[in-house]
Amino acid sequence: MGGGQSVPKITKQDRAILDLKLQRDKVKQYQKKIQAVLDREHEIAKQYLVTGQKDRALFALRKRKYQETLLAKTDSQLENLEQLVSTIEFSLVEVSVIHGLQQGSEVLKEIHKELNIENVEKILDETAEARELQREVGNMLANSLSVEDEEAVQVELRVLQGETLAEQEVHEPVELPSVPEGLPVSAEPEEEQPAEERQQRIPMPA
Amino acid sequence: MSLSPHTTPSGNLLLGFLLPSIHAAPPFFTQQPNPATQAIVTEQWSRLILSYARHRQLFTVRVEDAEVTGGEWDEILRNDRINRRLRSSHLAYILEQMAAKNQLVYDPPKQSRSALLYWRTPEEWAEVLHEWASTTGQLNTILTFYEIIEPPVPSPLSGIPMQILRKAIHILTKTNRAQIIAVADGEGVRFLPGNAGK
Repeated sequence: MGGGQSVPKITKQDRAILDLKLQRDKVKQYQKKIQAVLDREHEIAKQYLVTGQKDRALFALRKRKYQETLLAKTDSQLENLEQLVSTIEFSLVEVSVIHGLQQGSEVLKEIHKELNIENVEKILDETAEARELQREVGNMLANSLSVEDEEAVQVELRVLQGETLAEQEVHEPVELPSVPEGLPVSAEPEEEQPAEERQQRIPMPA
Repeated sequence: MSLSPHTTPSGNLLLGFLLPSIHAAPPFFTQQPNPATQAIVTEQWSRLILSYARHRQLFTVRVEDAEVTGGEWDEILRNDRINRRLRSSHLAYILEQMAAKNQLVYDPPKQSRSALLYWRTPEEWAEVLHEWASTTGQLNTILTFYEIIEPPVPSPLSGIPMQILRKAIHILTKTNRAQIIAVADGEGVRFLPGNAGK
């Protein structure tokens, strides 16, 4: 492997964190030891009870109680140490966040330098000019046909339209209604009559 | 007599260990006079010892384990179903052969009664270690050795012997993937992202 990446330097903070963590480990080991003692004293008390030496059993239990208070104390110490460690680690994260923000804002400043308002105005003006030019050129090209030419084109269009219409008339088959085969039926059901009346009335209002 | 594999009673472990069928063969427990035969027996025993160690996360084996009962190795060094056990001299011989193949190292050195098993080589342990540090988000954090050996949450590295851990970290420092920090009270290590994946 290349090893191009350099190992970060060991700072004072690193040593401090390591120190704290080592202390924490020591407290943890101490707790383990106390736990072992607790278990042992419990066993001892049991054995004394079996052999009937109540005083001794009581003594062992007292010792056990004392160790228990020690254990509780170390618990709070451990909590303190761990809190300190996490506070330091969190602060380091904060520092790096601030560093990142700073760099980001510097980059943003650099970019803003390029984006000053005069420049923008100038560029916008230039763009507007260019657009104007484009429009003029377009107009000139569109107006290049003379009035006569335009009329000729219109005439041609009308002729073409006439031709197409004529073609349509020739080709379209005329559909006529077929002759009724039976006699017309005069008697219609009465119900339909009011409907017819209604239909007639609709266009009437004036 | 037909030989068959046998699963050990699991005890407090979730899964029992599947003993190979050869473990039920009485000659397997006896040192063979023919060197070719013995080579096969040794090979089988080394494989069995390493896979059993991996299964139960055992790191040390002692010649003594073949002499006394009640140890962690009883399940493979003895087979009560065929009334056989491995003699301590035979175990010592097997360990010697394994040491020659770098499958274990004597620990402490300069004796041959107790050994550290390399069911992962230090190089493999280095990878496991780095993998663990990066998946648990502990890169760039300073860790104590104690914290790695006895983490609050069990990890693949729980209980790893200090010697193997040191070797693995040393391997990682060569590729700039770890850095050892020493203070008056002890030592710590910082794992770095490194350039292995690139």
